[in-house]
Amino acid sequence: MSHQTSPNDRKPSSFGIRCGQDFAAGLFLIAIGLFAFWQAQTLGRGTLNAMGAGMLPQSLAVMVAIGGIGLVITSLLVDGPRLERWSLRGAFFIFGGIVLFALTIRTLGLVVAGPLAMVFGSIGSEEFRWKESVIFAVILTAICILLFKVMLRLPIPVIGSVLEPILPF
Amino acid sequence: MEAFLGNLSLGFGTALTLNNIFFCFIGCMVGTLVGVLPGVGPIATIAMLLPITFGLDPTGALIMLAGIYYGAQYGGSTTAILVNLPGEATSVVTVLDGHQMAKQGRAGVALGIAAIGSFFAGTVATLLIAALGQPLTKLAQLFGPAEYFSLMIMGLVFAVVLARGSILKAICMILAGLLLSTVGTDLETGQERLTLGLQDLSDGIDFAVLAMGIFGFAEIVRNLENPETRDVVQRAVGRLLPGKEDFKQSYKPILRGTFLGAILGILPGNGAVLGPFAAYTLEKKLAKDPSRFGRGAIEGVAGPEAANNAGAQTAFIPLLTLGIPPNAVMALMVGAMTIHGIIPGPQVMTKNPDLFWGMIASMWIGNLMLLVINLPLIGLWIRLLKVPYRMMFPAIMIFCCIGIYSVNNSTSDVLFTAFFGLVGYTLLKFGFEPAPMLLGFVLGKLMEEKLRQALILSRGSFATFVERPVSGVLLAIAVIMLVIALLPSVRKGRDEVFVE
Repeated sequence: MSHQTSPNDRKPSSFGIRCGQDFAAGLFLIAIGLFAFWQAQTLGRGTLNAMGAGMLPQSLAVMVAIGGIGLVITSLLVDGPRLERWSLRGAFFIFGGIVLFALTIRTLGLVVAGPLAMVFGSIGSEEFRWKESVIFAVILTAICILLFKVMLRLPIPVIGSVLEPILPF
Repeated sequence: MEAFLGNLSLGFGTALTLNNIFFCFIGCMVGTLVGVLPGVGPIATIAMLLPITFGLDPTGALIMLAGIYYGAQYGGSTTAILVNLPGEATSVVTVLDGHQMAKQGRAGVALGIAAIGSFFAGTVATLLIAALGQPLTKLAQLFGPAEYFSLMIMGLVFAVVLARGSILKAICMILAGLLLSTVGTDLETGQERLTLGLQDLSDGIDFAVLAMGIFGFAEIVRNLENPETRDVVQRAVGRLLPGKEDFKQSYKPILRGTFLGAILGILPGNGAVLGPFAAYTLEKKLAKDPSRFGRGAIEGVAGPEAANNAGAQTAFIPLLTLGIPPNAVMALMVGAMTIHGIIPGPQVMTKNPDLFWGMIASMWIGNLMLLVINLPLIGLWIRLLKVPYRMMFPAIMIFCCIGIYSVNNSTSDVLFTAFFGLVGYTLLKFGFEPAPMLLGFVLGKLMEEKLRQALILSRGSFATFVERPVSGVLLAIAVIMLVIALLPSVRKGRDEVFVE
């Protein structure tokens, strides 16, 4: 389960960034803090007696950024794991599949959005097989329609607004 | 005592209607299923099933959702023992000795003792909730805004102390979670905060969306990059009922595990996850021959299993009595209650006594069901575990998409979930634990409200949090915990506990 690299594959370095993971994590937090502070800038801070809308977001943004600075500093002082390789394939196809689902569910309905999202997402796995994936996606979509639409009566569009007028029934 | 019995009989009266038994059964089955399957947790499942509960009556809905949660604890141990993979985060330690027992042909005994230990722990925890419910509710009514705020601070500190890995990173995650909770319209001034001008964010970020993105989708991507090696036990499961000798060895660990788990579970800040670790460490310390641990010691299964189930149930106490969710699953329960117009907190017990006691009684019934249905179904679970992940994750994906879409019938919710999935994946890559962030997010709104109220009452003076005795004590506990966790010697010990 551990996602940290073992101590053996650390690169020994005397100076500079000793923990790439923490360094990047710190920069990420600093960016979030700055962004949030910039967004909350225009909101009134108020006084402690009567806090304005901006008081909490602004102070939290500052604290997040300070935490980020702390991480950057420790990453220069203490050895730790390097930044891991990112699985771009998995991320692209999984999140892409979800976006495809969101874009097609209203217009094309679950009959298209379901298999589309599932097959697209499946490509994210190294073990992807076309035929298996398509068959599985179609069967699962049928099960979903039966379960969510017929049995549980959720208002999910099965046949979307584009397909509906074209179909003969 | 009379009131206690009266309450329990009201509870069983509610829980034993045909309808509620059915929902309890469904919840337990679904819970076991997601518990058995590694990579699907109760958080994603409950978020997914929220829309289905819209049409149910509140008692039935909550009984079902609670069943999913504690059912998952049972299912998680099945996977831990049979596959050498924790089905749930709380069954991590069960893997150590449980799978060894399975390799020695004693899988059945390990499963049996896990189920019996869990059932015993569940029974005790149910009674504990029933007994503590009333006094804690009375206590809660004495709490003012300052006390509530300090209690939540204490909860967050516990979450930091109990999180794995770096304390600084856990604090950062809590702060990020609190920051996320401020997104949306400010309740007092009506101003939009951090919404980036997006209409969909003016009501704030939906908890189900955040939880599903971070615990559902980010996990899938993470699982895809480390291809798992599933080592499903090929040998016969063996007899299920533990023998006399097994019982003799495990009844004490079960008692100790139940006690530890129940206490830790009550703590705000998700103490329940620590229960199994603590129980395992304790058993190893107390054992005459600690070297047996890790090689199939039955105590190493009995103690932690009792602890995780006890903790899973006592985690309901802060929610039901104080209205403070101690972990992400409980936060989803808050969501489910709010949908049905019930505001969690001390008033639930007086306003909806049948719901309160019905839910508690259903937990015991659910535990009994799990004991009965789980063991005969082991063959089915083994077959299910042989389904490869490349077929499982598209199914998880589509269920999550349908679930999220149905909460508000909104496609932008689905898009936000994808976005938070990406954020969650990034956080995992940076070595952050997402659980503290979720807790910060969950408590954020309530904390801000109480902070504002307390400061208005004290005319802007922070001293009120220290001067009021109860609030001061809570903050003192929080500070002491944090200092202890930062001590070098304890830090080392803490790392060891999590490494084991």
